[in-house]
Amino acid sequence: MKLKSSAALIFFTAIFFSCSNNNNTVTKHAPYNAEAVNAILLDVDSISNATEAISRAEKIKAVLQTSIPVLLCGDSLNNNQQTAQQLALADTVFTQYFFDPYSKKPFLNEVFGVYPARQSDMPMVKIAYNLPTTFKVEMYNYALNNTAIALVDVQQQKVLHRYVLPKTQPDVSGYLKKLAINIAIESKEVQNALGIKPTEKDALMASTQTALNRSRCERSKHLCVAPTFIKGDKALWAIVDLTDSRLVGIRWTNTGSTGPAEKLITERRLQDDKITSCYCEVEQTLKRNGWDMQYMLTSSDGLRISNVNFNGNPVLKSAKLVDWHVSYSGTDGFGYSDAVGCPYFSQSAVVAWEIPKIAELKNDNNETVGFVLEQVFRSEGWPTPCNYNYRQRYEFYNDGRFRTACASIGRGCGNTGTYRPVFRIAFAGNQNNFYQWQQNNWSQWQTEKWNEQTALSDYTAEGYMYKVGNNNNSYFIEPGKGQFGDGGRGDFSFLYVTKNAAGKDEGESDLPTIGPCCNTDYHQGPEKFIEPNAENITNSGLVVWYVAQLRNNDAKGQEYCWAESVVENGVYKTKTYPCFCGPMFIPVKK
Amino acid sequence: MNKNFFSITNLLLPLAACCFFSCKEEVVEYQTNICKQMPQFVRQMGFPPGNSFFSTTDTRKMGLVLKQSAQVNNPNAGIVKEYQHPSWRSGGWLAPILLDEQGNIYTAPAPFVNVLNNPNNKNNTIFKVDNQTGIMQEWLPLPQQDSTIQNPFGIIGMVYLCETQTLYVSSVAGSDRQNERGAIYAVDIKSKKIIDKITGTDAMGMGISYTEGKRKLYFGTGRSSDIYAVLLSKEGKFATKPAVSFSVAGLGERGDDKVRRIFNNKDGTLTVAGFEFNYNLIAPREKQETPYQFSYDEETAAWVFIK
Repeated sequence: MKLKSSAALIFFTAIFFSCSNNNNTVTKHAPYNAEAVNAILLDVDSISNATEAISRAEKIKAVLQTSIPVLLCGDSLNNNQQTAQQLALADTVFTQYFFDPYSKKPFLNEVFGVYPARQSDMPMVKIAYNLPTTFKVEMYNYALNNTAIALVDVQQQKVLHRYVLPKTQPDVSGYLKKLAINIAIESKEVQNALGIKPTEKDALMASTQTALNRSRCERSKHLCVAPTFIKGDKALWAIVDLTDSRLVGIRWTNTGSTGPAEKLITERRLQDDKITSCYCEVEQTLKRNGWDMQYMLTSSDGLRISNVNFNGNPVLKSAKLVDWHVSYSGTDGFGYSDAVGCPYFSQSAVVAWEIPKIAELKNDNNETVGFVLEQVFRSEGWPTPCNYNYRQRYEFYNDGRFRTACASIGRGCGNTGTYRPVFRIAFAGNQNNFYQWQQNNWSQWQTEKWNEQTALSDYTAEGYMYKVGNNNNSYFIEPGKGQFGDGGRGDFSFLYVTKNAAGKDEGESDLPTIGPCCNTDYHQGPEKFIEPNAENITNSGLVVWYVAQLRNNDAKGQEYCWAESVVENGVYKTKTYPCFCGPMFIPVKK
Repeated sequence: MNKNFFSITNLLLPLAACCFFSCKEEVVEYQTNICKQMPQFVRQMGFPPGNSFFSTTDTRKMGLVLKQSAQVNNPNAGIVKEYQHPSWRSGGWLAPILLDEQGNIYTAPAPFVNVLNNPNNKNNTIFKVDNQTGIMQEWLPLPQQDSTIQNPFGIIGMVYLCETQTLYVSSVAGSDRQNERGAIYAVDIKSKKIIDKITGTDAMGMGISYTEGKRKLYFGTGRSSDIYAVLLSKEGKFATKPAVSFSVAGLGERGDDKVRRIFNNKDGTLTVAGFEFNYNLIAPREKQETPYQFSYDEETAAWVFIK
């Protein structure tokens, strides 16, 4: 990993204000420190192996089978507190959010605490009460991220007042604190970071003092806390998601005795700092299965790969995803041009929260045939309406094939949407030619131009439509027609070929939005590199632009480019219907 | 869906018309800074001032739009009439709207979701709509770097000091993660000259308030949740260095909000509108604005969070 950071260990902000001066001051901010770079983000689908997390999952399943889907307060309660809890749970207003009104499925609720009421809790109570026998019951709804409060006078056996606070999380119970610490100390990430396999007792020892800091999961809107392990002058923050009972990630911070206090480590900060420091500000090198390349996240062109070679032979100069154009046919000219990319300091409307994933690529027989490099970009509100989730995927096969693919996973602003992702694929070499299969022959394109994949398009027997390359290295291009086994239903693509002239920036650097949302013809942006004077492209450096057209669908059983929330195990989960697209490139055998 | 990114959403007309110029420079009152007037062309075009307002928050209409609401003082009632002069689209998507005592409108471009209609080299330019003709033109390009591929923003906020006819404009133009190049410019609208500036700070939402008889400019930045204060002189210049006055850190759902706007309430309290800001183009619908109200405790000489 190349890292720009200097020896600076502290992320400092030196602020110099000028007053009535004539010079422009620039305030310098230090590069990311090693702690940000070395932070670990776990996959959002990861699960905890902690015994307590596993047994809790069983408890949750059981309680969701009952008519009162509530985990009772895990802390020990006296008789009065237990009575208050029971009285609150019998109150229909306090329990109004127990079930999803549409699916009738139960939401997971948990009583976090039953506390003696204070006078300051009582202003809204308009009936007589006895304060010493009045208790405040706090219950959290994991699905809706809200808190229900009931003020209960056990002497009167009565709920005096109750209300619900949206987007509010109560103080966690002692039981949940213990659970969070257990999830942290049972994780191999925390163990590796601390260099020991701590027990709960160890976690509470002086050498690795553990404090439970409040944290936030701003993006998932889950209940999160941060068991923090002190070691020397450093603190290891382990962010634990108590909604999903899993570790979100870990990061060291410097505690120090002087200087400004370290900012709270939260889900978003952990993600943004890690992604920015490791993937937006530096290029990563990837060598695998005969392939080697660099990759990085861009400001507005998605995940970019560059200097791609296979078995030492140059294949691509670069490839990236320039824009997503989304138009809605129900309303003229309504839609968005979304750029995807880095979460911090970027022109992206939909940003990366997770690091790029590298995984094995398997065929139908579960044999490894290559690997994928994949990046997810998403809006925070997804899958609620008018929020988006895009996936970008590069597939590299052991036999030299590769594919540039992407998918929308909805949900967008309606069911009349058409997504048009704009890929830019720059081939290595400057003596390339481009051909189209027409009337049983390869017909060479002489000048920059575009073509649309339609029902009348010609394909070879193998399904190839174009060919690009030179005498030493050529590739057939196979557009998506629903044949790749990823749920794609055909690309209906526009393909453009433009000259990549040496010494000229033909879109190689990060591009701002190049096309509007709602053009339905070939005016998707790449034509700007062709018109008005198309250049000769024979024996040239070439760029292939590929724009698929994907119409979304929300009809039951036919969902496509779509996502919906479903209640599962008491919380919302997302059911996805991706619409993958993108061409396969197949080496031409000599 | 609301597009309310940095925009003054509902600027109802008529705005309070009184403008008292204080003779006592050491003690100035809240009312001193209420002087905004409706543009003359509004009435001439048949828009009743009581229920008409300007907006830059329409997600389907780029630029400035004049709207007539069905109810007086309620911009959320149905819209019965709209008008857009062709020149009002010339700046692309816009954000702040500010009126002076003559009814001139000052505004500035701000990209919305993408930069297709907001070229980098215009995002640091003040536009003005003439109160008589209604024509919008580029008025004053600010002398700072253009916005960049990393940071598509330029001008973010505007406030006006009636006493001195000074327009304060905040900008984050040219900043990147390691270099904070933003500024606040004090612009004398009579001479169209920048009379003072604070540089090296990515200033965002601003507000003018009067505490202990002194006029102060409060502002937030794109880098933290702190609110800075700087004393303003009787000429409208910056009389002190900015210092952290209070903060919205830890407050609200997110805990790290940046300041979109600061309102000076009639009761002397300040409302700070906070939102998520990370120098990207995440759609405004994702950026929930949270109001935080503060009152000034004269005993401790500090702003105290109320709700």
